[in-house]
Amino acid sequence: MRQMKRQRQKLNNSHKVSLWLLFWTFFKTGLFTFGGGYAMISILEEELVGKRKWLTSADMLDMLVIAESTPGVIAVNTATGVGFRLRGVWGAIVATLGVVLPSFVIITALTFFIRAFSQNVWYKAAFTGIQACVSVLIVNAFVKMFSQLERGWFSALLLVAAFNVALFTNFNVIFLILIGGAAGILYAVIADAVCKKKNKTLPLSSSERLEDESARQDDDGANGGGNE
Amino acid sequence: MIYLQLFWEYFKIGLFTIGGGYAMLPLVTQIVGKYGWLSEQELIEFIGIAESTPGPFAINLATFVGNTVGSATELGIFGGILGALVSTVAVVLPSLIIIIVVTLLFDKFKSNKYVQGALKGIRPVVVGLILSAVISVAGKVVLPNFSFKNISAGGFDKFNWISLILILAFIPLSQIKIKGKKIHPIYLILFSAVLGIVIFGAFGVQQ
Repeated sequence: MRQMKRQRQKLNNSHKVSLWLLFWTFFKTGLFTFGGGYAMISILEEELVGKRKWLTSADMLDMLVIAESTPGVIAVNTATGVGFRLRGVWGAIVATLGVVLPSFVIITALTFFIRAFSQNVWYKAAFTGIQACVSVLIVNAFVKMFSQLERGWFSALLLVAAFNVALFTNFNVIFLILIGGAAGILYAVIADAVCKKKNKTLPLSSSERLEDESARQDDDGANGGGNE
Repeated sequence: MIYLQLFWEYFKIGLFTIGGGYAMLPLVTQIVGKYGWLSEQELIEFIGIAESTPGPFAINLATFVGNTVGSATELGIFGGILGALVSTVAVVLPSLIIIIVVTLLFDKFKSNKYVQGALKGIRPVVVGLILSAVISVAGKVVLPNFSFKNISAGGFDKFNWISLILILAFIPLSQIKIKGKKIHPIYLILFSAVLGIVIFGAFGVQQ
């Protein structure tokens, strides 16, 4: 651990990254990644950790945790995080600008082109095919995120409720997200309180403790099996 | 002032979605419908374009929506560029602020009980929202007149059966692995475009 820290220090001290190079690196990343943040992360890892050695793999993992669990576009969050770490606030701004600029230019140019062609028969035919494919891409995004989700009644309940409300009503989606966050905090607080209470009452009844312990052992067994 | 509206809505999208591009989709669908900025059909088409052009998916989408909204004003092309600028800056701004703060507080953030609790609640909601996007996008493609928010018999008037077959065919196709890697979405989109041109263009099949 200490070694890692020393390594990190060394990385930061030996390279004072220029803002221009930071911009250029993220501009290239924005230009050559298709899709979303996750596709970008493998490229960034190669560039920042492998080639330029600005960061360690551990730094990169921290960055990914932050990017995933804070609001916003994952690719932009990663750029902002890396930029800030290397060159402070200006670094964050420059890296973000770099990653966004290719999209901005390309899409702006493309939009005018699209508008000119939108009534073309061949264009329409192509897009009838593309629409079907897009449905499948969203299915895949769902499957990927679903597989990373923590299992349990709490997650299932929130998922089903959010799905139904969003599909069948005009209820504001942002409120759904806020309600989810509040429910999660409430759940954590209650779980915490229950856990504390249990610990307090445990020494009083030995039979319960035995039961609890055997249950825990069962749990361990199940977990072990799952891991294998 | 449409640019202020655009900025505010996209700022909220940037502020409230956790999980990246596809997690933003339900919010984008909602605001676009609310203000009538784009038809759902246009949005679905553009998702295909956003996936197959360089850059983060969500940024591509934001630029496109901004451009479309701005172009509809009297400023024309310049309005489009201004709109794109407004929506892109708005969606990025919350990230910029939040990430800087969180990076500074990372160790506390990682282990904070409330932060972890909130994420535990937000994640399933986001996945549920994406599922609703799956159903409403696929529904729009197969039954263009059908609305989940206002179910009526008229919604079944038009049934795009070829689109349904294409969707069902693309699901296994998107799972095929070549040398341990799934086929990149760009190739799927290109392939679907070619299929569309052949089926609906060259053969002139009517659904």
